[in-house]
Amino acid sequence: MDFSFTPEQDMLRDSLGKLLAQTYSFDQRQALLKSGAARSEPVWQALGEMGLLALPFAESDGGLGGQPSDLVACGLVMGRHLVAEPWLASVLLGGKALALGGARAQPLLADVIAGNAQVALAHEERHGIGPVTAMGTTLTLNGDAVQLDGEKKLVLGGAEANALIVSARAGDKLALVRVDPSAPGVAVTGYSMIDGRRAATVRFEHVIIPAAQVMRDDAEAALDAVIENALLTLSAEAVGAMGALLEMTGSYAATRKQFGVPIGSFQAMAHRLADMKIAWAKAQALLLYTTALIEAGQASPRDVALLKAQMGRLGRAVGESAVQVHGGIGMTDELAVGHYLKRLLAIEAMLGSTDYHLRRVGAR
Amino acid sequence: MDISFGPELESFRAEVAAFLDCAPTPDIREAGRKTTSVFAPFESVMAWQKILHAKGWVAPGWPAQYGGTGWSVEQRYIFAEEYFKRDLPPLLPNGLQMVGPLLIDLGSEEQKAKYLPGILSGEDYWTQGYSEPNAGSDLAALSCAAVADGDDYIINGQKIWTTLAHKANRMFMLVRTSTEGKKQQGITFLLLDRTDYPGMEIRPIIGLDGIPEQCEVFFDNVRVPQTARVGAENDGWSVAKALLRHERGGSAGSPAMYRKLELIRVTAQGTPSPFGGMVADDPVFQRDIGELEADIASHAAFEKLVISGHPLSHDPAMPSMNKVMSSELAQRVSVLMTRVAGTEALPLQLEALNIGSNVAALGQELELVAMPYYLNSRATTIYAGTNEVQRDLIARTLPAA
Repeated sequence: MDFSFTPEQDMLRDSLGKLLAQTYSFDQRQALLKSGAARSEPVWQALGEMGLLALPFAESDGGLGGQPSDLVACGLVMGRHLVAEPWLASVLLGGKALALGGARAQPLLADVIAGNAQVALAHEERHGIGPVTAMGTTLTLNGDAVQLDGEKKLVLGGAEANALIVSARAGDKLALVRVDPSAPGVAVTGYSMIDGRRAATVRFEHVIIPAAQVMRDDAEAALDAVIENALLTLSAEAVGAMGALLEMTGSYAATRKQFGVPIGSFQAMAHRLADMKIAWAKAQALLLYTTALIEAGQASPRDVALLKAQMGRLGRAVGESAVQVHGGIGMTDELAVGHYLKRLLAIEAMLGSTDYHLRRVGAR
Repeated sequence: MDISFGPELESFRAEVAAFLDCAPTPDIREAGRKTTSVFAPFESVMAWQKILHAKGWVAPGWPAQYGGTGWSVEQRYIFAEEYFKRDLPPLLPNGLQMVGPLLIDLGSEEQKAKYLPGILSGEDYWTQGYSEPNAGSDLAALSCAAVADGDDYIINGQKIWTTLAHKANRMFMLVRTSTEGKKQQGITFLLLDRTDYPGMEIRPIIGLDGIPEQCEVFFDNVRVPQTARVGAENDGWSVAKALLRHERGGSAGSPAMYRKLELIRVTAQGTPSPFGGMVADDPVFQRDIGELEADIASHAAFEKLVISGHPLSHDPAMPSMNKVMSSELAQRVSVLMTRVAGTEALPLQLEALNIGSNVAALGQELELVAMPYYLNSRATTIYAGTNEVQRDLIARTLPAA
């Protein structure tokens, strides 16, 4: 058993960390988000030059054939730096869903890998990612074409996407269809999320689509694999964010004085810090173990549900404690602490909430 | 990253399963099902240890040269999984997981040759003489004194929470040999060859579960040879700390927890819910058992990272984190057991719990053990250093600016 990264992965983590330290400090990040830009062009370009936009795609698709552990190595660093670039949105979700179309994914997929285009996956609806029978968005036959109706929530990068990959119920199957966001009947409402990422609500009303744009008519298993990869990367982001919070909060408790002594010398504070460290250790261990399981082809849907649930619970606990230890200053927008909490809260809510995944584990 | 799932591991699993299916006697199996503590019923578990020793499988965690199995990390986990699947009683930890590994690390060659065989075979059972009435969490405040006299020490004082001392034939203990300097500096670690030295008196203490598992031990001018010492005189604190690392870390406790979770699930499938259907169908139960399983899975992953030598295993907080996690999970498992048992956990059934009593249990297996296990498990966050002390230790490992 070996749960450590390879030397190549350590180098990747190191160079990504250096890049983000130079270009994505907390102040630089905040300035970027305040500017209203959906991404930082120099950072996006640099991520492309490092190969991150090509990483998860098969070599036959023009990618680098990266392994799950490569994604985790990157996700840990992304989480530590609170990256809000559309890497998850356009590469791990939109791009990987697009790639399910095989040869038809080109030439758009090549543009995504080159950083010249974005795609988004429109899958979530209201409360998480239930079975296809509970999906409200439908795809029905309309003459020689198909018709798409419904509403998708939390479409990451949806307002910036050149194409949407939409999941819909077709009979009792889950179909994937590629939709032009400017097509008649498509209404995209973009917004910024609490954690700085961009997302959109997308409504489809009598959207008529040529049958050739139905990428797959039975895509549930294939889409599950895409979501599994994205959840794993998102979990790595959560662990990276938890690690950063643990360090920040430990340092703050050692320096901030009240009643003439560092607040960390109070046992109530020390025990809160200890619980934060335990939570981080549990999260890290489960992340690395599940990564190795997935890489060995041995992970079950329960294993992935378990991971997502733990990231939500443990991330929230670490984030809330970090704010509490920082006290009033932890409540302010100017400190990074609250932004880590918001990233962790966003991770908890997306792609199936903690309650959803825990009940999946418990119901078996 | 790498986890092996090769065919050679599956054949190892089959070999382990075949042995564990046949080797334990009915008495040993009964003891496993009626284990409501870290400490399984004494006579049965020691009989089981002798069988495992004859097979060479008694100490998977020990180096092969000292009688370990030489198994890989994967094999050790498979062994633990198959072991607990069959509800076999866990071997008592004091010898195999505490004083044995300590002697391998710090004992003299004479001590290793003298004591390790008996620890492995189950001829000897060692009780731990650490705590005193006025030295619990503040263990270094201990006052039970040993005074040098010729080639001997003469011991006077009292120990408490000496688990199964009334069944033990040997004892490892901490004594005060000096009151100079810091209180940690005057402590010495001793190995007692007998528990029936003249002047030694052992009194069992009945616990919340109604079972006499703990003891207190009184020393009145008890004479033991100085060769009983491990390490130097007045250096016992560092010996004890080395032992605590074995007591608190590097375990494979999660397979036993998974097994109890399975027992809860099976029982819930046959227990009617007041809302109709079975408890297993209740959304609140499903969410709660899902949460517990998620935490057990995290702990299992933590254990695997630690025994695989991941950098987390070198974190100075590792033993304390492991102790907090495993002890609090054991308690949560026991709480869910009592929740599923409900009123059926309330009959006092000490006779039915006795191995070989032939007194039939009222109700199902889980209902017999749930309450004694719950009550006994309240100790997990108290012993081996309270979890409050562990959290103090963990907090000290955080980066200071």
